[in-house]
Amino acid sequence: MADIITLIKSAIMIIAAVLIVLTAFGIIRYKDDVERILYARVHMLGVADMACIVALLALNEPLLAVTYFFLTPFASHAIANAYYYGEESR
Amino acid sequence: MVRVDNNKLQGVKMDILQISEYILMAALAFYAIATIRIATRKTISMGIVGLLGLSIAVATILILVNNIYGIAFCKDIAYALVILGPIGTIAFSKVIRGW
Repeated sequence: MADIITLIKSAIMIIAAVLIVLTAFGIIRYKDDVERILYARVHMLGVADMACIVALLALNEPLLAVTYFFLTPFASHAIANAYYYGEESR
Repeated sequence: MVRVDNNKLQGVKMDILQISEYILMAALAFYAIATIRIATRKTISMGIVGLLGLSIAVATILILVNNIYGIAFCKDIAYALVILGPIGTIAFSKVIRGW
């Protein structure tokens, strides 16, 4: 039984690694001259955030994963909000 | 009848877990470099986006280091990063937006 759990943990971590690499390619792919690229990058960052949360759960760190799961949407919203009302309107 | 050595089988399973941890660590290192590149773009918001991504990448790397090498204080640093990273991002975003 423990061996199956080990295999599942390994599979989860490899899937998380693939998603993280795809996110890394995604956020450096576009140049800054694309209009409103920041929203796209915040969106892409969500994929890596969730992949890291799943990886942390597989690494037996549920408190860390739950804390980040609750904090990261507020942070992403704050960034997008600041850009919309602050930097973009200048 | 084929005899399977249980210890050898367990060793193979442990290796799979360790290999996947190393793969995840390499992916996170690549992601951390990508987020640093994003953080050095000219707008302030882009810097915040990069640092938010960097904080979770470093926290996950530290948890992996704790698991692989058994360095206990890495977990404390990861907790501090996970809590203070998003909170700092929110605070700085409020400043950019204007009170």
